[in-house]
Amino acid sequence: MIDSPAGSRHSEPIVQAFGIHKAYGAVQALLNVDFAVYTGETVALVGDNGAGKSTLIKILCGALQPDSGRLFIGGEEVRFSNPRDATSRGISVVYQDLALVDGFDVAHNVFLGRIPSRWLRVDRQRMVKETRTVLAELTVSLPSVRTPVRFLSGGQRQAVAIARAMHQGGRLLIMDEPTAALGVQEGTKVLQLIENLKSRDLAIVVVSHNLEHVFAIADRIVVLRGGSVVGSRDKAGSTHSDIVHMIVGADMGGSE
Amino acid sequence: MTAGIESVESARISVETREAVRRFIRTGSIFLALAILWTGLAFASPYFFTQQNILNILLQSSTVGILAAGVTVVLIAGEIDISVASVQALAATVAATVIITHGGSVVLGIAAGIAVAILCGSVNGYVTIYARVPSFIVTLAMLGIAQGAAFLVTGGQAIGEFPRAYTVIGQGKVGPIPVPVIIAGVVYLLLHLLLAQTAFGVNIYAIGGSRNASRLVGLRVERTIMAVFVLCGALAGLSGLILSARLDAAHGSFGASDLLDAIAAVVIGGTSLFGGSGTVVGTLGGVIIISTIRNGLVLLNVEAFWTQVVVGVVILAAVMLDQVFKGELAFRDLVPGLRHG
Repeated sequence: MIDSPAGSRHSEPIVQAFGIHKAYGAVQALLNVDFAVYTGETVALVGDNGAGKSTLIKILCGALQPDSGRLFIGGEEVRFSNPRDATSRGISVVYQDLALVDGFDVAHNVFLGRIPSRWLRVDRQRMVKETRTVLAELTVSLPSVRTPVRFLSGGQRQAVAIARAMHQGGRLLIMDEPTAALGVQEGTKVLQLIENLKSRDLAIVVVSHNLEHVFAIADRIVVLRGGSVVGSRDKAGSTHSDIVHMIVGADMGGSE
Repeated sequence: MTAGIESVESARISVETREAVRRFIRTGSIFLALAILWTGLAFASPYFFTQQNILNILLQSSTVGILAAGVTVVLIAGEIDISVASVQALAATVAATVIITHGGSVVLGIAAGIAVAILCGSVNGYVTIYARVPSFIVTLAMLGIAQGAAFLVTGGQAIGEFPRAYTVIGQGKVGPIPVPVIIAGVVYLLLHLLLAQTAFGVNIYAIGGSRNASRLVGLRVERTIMAVFVLCGALAGLSGLILSARLDAAHGSFGASDLLDAIAAVVIGGTSLFGGSGTVVGTLGGVIIISTIRNGLVLLNVEAFWTQVVVGVVILAAVMLDQVFKGELAFRDLVPGLRHG
């Protein structure tokens, strides 16, 4: 019920999590959480600070291991012990801090962790070519793929991190607070970028505090509160205040 | 001067070009300083610019250079190894004990020396990674352990009179070129290719540049840092073997001044103490500058104790200049009175 797809076009679950528990010492961060994402949909994960959003996505991307619960990718049960495992199963992540190396240029950041070699030598030509291609697909224009990313603006850096996730070629793209660090103008650009991604055969999970942005891009909104999923709503038919009530736990318009 | 050029040109030239120019100037400045130093000394002493003396400088540079090369790689990965000079002494005394005291073969002695150096590097790496102790502390402890062990191995004595097959790695020549210079040259070439051309090299820079990002994109951070410490240990061992072969003796106090020289060379060479940037080419320039200073002071009949003072001053000058090159400091900031002027 909670994890029902947003529309009939979504049939195949890409990722399913059942009964996820996670505690940090005495603090129960996630309590019996069920979560699923279906092909082609964009799910927004919302909730107050400490609701468990970050913990949940860290578990999905292998950066944290759950205390108990099961994780399925394309119907097959998986266990991630690190982010590498998740990437190899088609889960790409744009981290809130972007995970860029400031001194590296755009191409090296897009290929970070997967630097290609030919005859033991780094294949720079391929890196530059493929980086240009993926940036062009995203309709992002940067001064040059050879520019160190420390000289780029916040939005441009976000685009580089998204380009890396796209280049990893995953089926599920997770974005943690993609617009939180950006000004209005750059935030809008990043939203457009996410909008472009939606036309692909790809599921997206966006964690965000900004309900305006959530309503702009999400098909479905999943609300966490106190470590539990308190609701999943299709965007169509939901209002800002419905969601706000679920987030803060007010009685009226609350959980099902 | 440099800052001026940059600010004038910045309006028209892309960031990328400016970065390349800045990097070129940084590395170029080391060799420019070297050229000025050599020119000055050539005028100051008729003995300086002779083939024999230049080869001497290169010979002096080779063992310190091999130490410094290892330290460079460790620093790029965002760690530090200050145990290299002690490990160098330990490898030398172990090899000497195996070959001379126990009559082992030269090959066995070399293998034992390198093995104990690799062991030291592995311990450095292991404790740094898995016990999460800062590598400065870990390698400070190793500095003491290896130094003490080096004295213990020979019972505090200097032992010498190696067989010819061993001394050749320190005293041999190919044409006019000493064997240690050739070995150091090969080490630098290989490390340069490793850092500048291979994916492993790129990953070392990434791990030094951002440990967190490297972990999140799935780089094998622990394994790489371990490899870097082992490499540095092995190079320290190699350096110790060459030094003992050159001097035909091994002793626990070996290469006592080499740590200062090696760190100085790396810093002069422009490698960041915070990780993520640096080159062995820069370090090579730094090593030759240090050896030239030592050599020049001897030729100019300056008391030997001054060398350490001068090397220390050069380290300070190099790190301050580096701040200017990185654009974090203007020249006038270096003079406190001018700051608000």
